[in-house]
Amino acid sequence: MFRLQGSKVLAVDMTGDAVKAKNGSMVAYDGQMAFKKLSGGGEGIRGMVTRRLTGEQMTVMEVKGHGTCWFADRASEINLVGLQGDKLFVESSNLLATDAGLRTGTSFTGLRGASQGNGLFTTTVEGHGQAAITSDGPAVVLRVSSQYPLTVDPGAYIAHQGNVRQSFQAGVTFRTLMGEGGGEAFQIRFEGDGLVYVQPSERNTIAGDL
Amino acid sequence: MPFREVNSKMIEATVLPGQRLFSQRGAMLAYKGEVSFTPNIQGGQGGIMSMIGRRVANEATPLMTVEGSGTVLFGHGGHHIQVISLTGDTLYVEADRLLAFDGTLQQGTMFLGSQGGVMGMVRGQVTGQGLFTTTLKGQGAVAVMAHGGVIEVPITPQRPVHVDPQAYVAHHGDVRNKLSTALGWRDMVGRGSGEAFQLELSGSGAVYVQASEEKL
Repeated sequence: MFRLQGSKVLAVDMTGDAVKAKNGSMVAYDGQMAFKKLSGGGEGIRGMVTRRLTGEQMTVMEVKGHGTCWFADRASEINLVGLQGDKLFVESSNLLATDAGLRTGTSFTGLRGASQGNGLFTTTVEGHGQAAITSDGPAVVLRVSSQYPLTVDPGAYIAHQGNVRQSFQAGVTFRTLMGEGGGEAFQIRFEGDGLVYVQPSERNTIAGDL
Repeated sequence: MPFREVNSKMIEATVLPGQRLFSQRGAMLAYKGEVSFTPNIQGGQGGIMSMIGRRVANEATPLMTVEGSGTVLFGHGGHHIQVISLTGDTLYVEADRLLAFDGTLQQGTMFLGSQGGVMGMVRGQVTGQGLFTTTLKGQGAVAVMAHGGVIEVPITPQRPVHVDPQAYVAHHGDVRNKLSTALGWRDMVGRGSGEAFQLELSGSGAVYVQASEEKL
């Protein structure tokens, strides 16, 4: 029921069911819709505590009704992700909408988060259904398999799914410290089996300066 | 005089002798042939009275008249451009979103309060669009600017369409609009869904919505 209208508008056809979407991202709807605020970062008391602790304060609303609802976020590109019981890791700022049946939570990212400038925690989406993630420019989906590990710039990484281990690589050398670095001092390495979403743009990170 | 889309952010207009078009001042990117650009102090057509009308209504975006013979490329600020063809109906659009339009179209201003009464005026204030909007009527093409791409949502009598006031670009047809509020106590205590105000459009026609909540 998620479909793209152009590359920057998400249309969701609803027949009494619900979706979760980023606060304020509705641009238009026809039919009957109701909007209710939820809080991101997972449900229940535990979710609330982790939200407070992690600062991964995604504000989410629940949209329920009959008709078509259109979502967009600051003219960024939208990518559809299908989940079949696996887990999607995504920055909360890149998560536009999910099926209401999907569970959202937070997870610790370690050094990777710090290098991205997005904090130490990231949002997880789990279950069966569809999610829509935003990117700055059209994103590419890169497959990671056991033979082919993948290394990504922290500023261009937006999300990953599947059974993937990630490790953080620092290429900081004497030259970097001397201000002669190649501008690629940090990388994230993905190993295992899954998909990584990469955008053709780089957020401002420490990695870019070194 | 049709506009041809070169890409999503640039259009090409063919200017023929004896025809003219209006464009936002400074929106010309390049031209071929003999084309003249004259600043239009009146900010459009319709003589002194409608100029005063536009001044009062604060819908007086600086325009220029484009005349001659050749082709002109228009674009502005890297915004997306949507070409809308009018076949005798009226397009309602904010003056600052107008990139270029056919000189044969009748330009006017409409008081928002005349639709929806007091709520119409409140709508103008809430959406930051002011109390007036520009209208274009007749046969011809209009190029409007938007942040991000534009989708066209049809409005039919059975299916009114609700639009985020910040994402609203323009609409045409026989359409009534009013501001609908979904203000509950949650919004008052700062726990709203962020969708407290919506523009309700009903009747038959179409509304153009941009892929962003940002004003130009």
